[in-house]
Amino acid sequence: MENNIELNNVSKKYQDFELKNITFNVPKGCIVGLIGENGAGKTTTIKSILNITKSDGTVKIFGKDSKKDEKKIKQEIGVVLDDSFLSDYLTAKQINSIMKDIYRNWNENKYMNLLKKFNLPKDKSIKDFSSGMKMKLKIATAISHNPKILILDEPTSGLDPVVRNEILDIFRQYIKEDETRTILLSTHITTDLEHISDYIIFIEKGKLVFNLPTDELLENYGIIKCSKEDFLRLDKKDYISYKKEKYQYEVLTDNKNNIRKKYNITTIDKPSIESIMLFYIKGEK
Amino acid sequence: MIKGLIKKDLYNLASYKASLIIIVLFCGIAVIGTESINFGPIVICSIIGMISLSTFSYDEIAKSNKYTLALPTNRKEIVKEKFILAVGATILGGILGLLLTIIVVNIINYLRPQDIINIDYESLIISTIGGMWGISLIQSIQIPSIYKWGAEKGRIQMFVLLFVLIVLVAGAGFLIMKANLNINVEMIESFMNKYGLILLAILMIVMYYISYKISYKIYKNKEE
Repeated sequence: MENNIELNNVSKKYQDFELKNITFNVPKGCIVGLIGENGAGKTTTIKSILNITKSDGTVKIFGKDSKKDEKKIKQEIGVVLDDSFLSDYLTAKQINSIMKDIYRNWNENKYMNLLKKFNLPKDKSIKDFSSGMKMKLKIATAISHNPKILILDEPTSGLDPVVRNEILDIFRQYIKEDETRTILLSTHITTDLEHISDYIIFIEKGKLVFNLPTDELLENYGIIKCSKEDFLRLDKKDYISYKKEKYQYEVLTDNKNNIRKKYNITTIDKPSIESIMLFYIKGEK
Repeated sequence: MIKGLIKKDLYNLASYKASLIIIVLFCGIAVIGTESINFGPIVICSIIGMISLSTFSYDEIAKSNKYTLALPTNRKEIVKEKFILAVGATILGGILGLLLTIIVVNIINYLRPQDIINIDYESLIISTIGGMWGISLIQSIQIPSIYKWGAEKGRIQMFVLLFVLIVLVAGAGFLIMKANLNINVEMIESFMNKYGLILLAILMIVMYYISYKISYKIYKNKEE
């Protein structure tokens, strides 16, 4: 499978935080979810990919060095950042005029149609937009030059479920239009990813914990609910972490079929991405 | 690419239209009151030159630097764009200041034919260029300060730097006076009359160039 983004040993050291040797690929035609709690390193990873921050290691986009061919590569990338956009005093119409001079392939018709589709006023200052409207405008701006890669940092945070769903539909449609496209989406709202992502990359305290196909993750992982006696029978190699509840033990495994066969335990729940993340972060080993 | 960035800043600055009209009115009133027309271009040029730097505040409030860096541009172009805007504002400020002063004085003369204000064009042009030089000095100090310390803190640091500069120049003047050096004032005056404008223009270019180099060096290593 060809990759649109390749990260190799990307590291970044801050005073109080370190991103350590992050290596992963984002294949063509896939939606990849980058998950982790706040401050885990998701934004730093995205900033490294976009060369917003200087980091060690290599980032290749379309097989090219992201630093050497920066301007050319970025013509093919659409970006939505949670906490950063153009000034709130601009209007959607003015953004169109700015972007026409920034992206070679800027498609004014597409942008105007998206504004119409999202019910966004053209002549109103962004400062008067709701958070949902602002996010839709950011997305319209990010996809109107038909980029091959869409990089989104927390695009659904702070939005109500209706708007979140609308936005996820836009992403689905974006990939459907052209299967050589890619979306890298960082979020801590993991339920969104269960419906749209092909791969999940989990980062915790600056380290990559896993990079797995979403189906595989949801199929193979399981939460065993068992008594203390059953828990004590489990080999440490067979589970990832556990939580001691009031009346039972909850144990996360990455191979639930093995548990069933080996220990004859049948009560294994299908986990959500969020619960897997919580076991990794809060569970004991 | 730079054109897009300039547009972004100009759209942000459009909100200053009303302020500019008020400034012109203020200058007109001041001219009527004091009959001193030379300060008109200086004030207008300074205001326009300083307004151009407020784009840094817009970027800081919207945290748009991070987003701008994600666009197909690089740090060099971003710094270059800010300097194009600053130099453009100084030149525009000078021209506009000069023209508006002449227009305002002519309107006043038309309205008050009994009390005509004479325009000394040579002195008006010299004060315009003086104003442009002054604002270019401030911009050359302020832009790297903003890149180093941010739009808000940078302003304070700029005043500190300007104060230090004034103290140094005044100190040098004081030392020259104290040293009782035999300075040929006439020779300096004739030199300045001959080459003063060229010297100021060259100094402006050098100041902007050094400031651009420092700003880029700071921004190249800055974390967003």
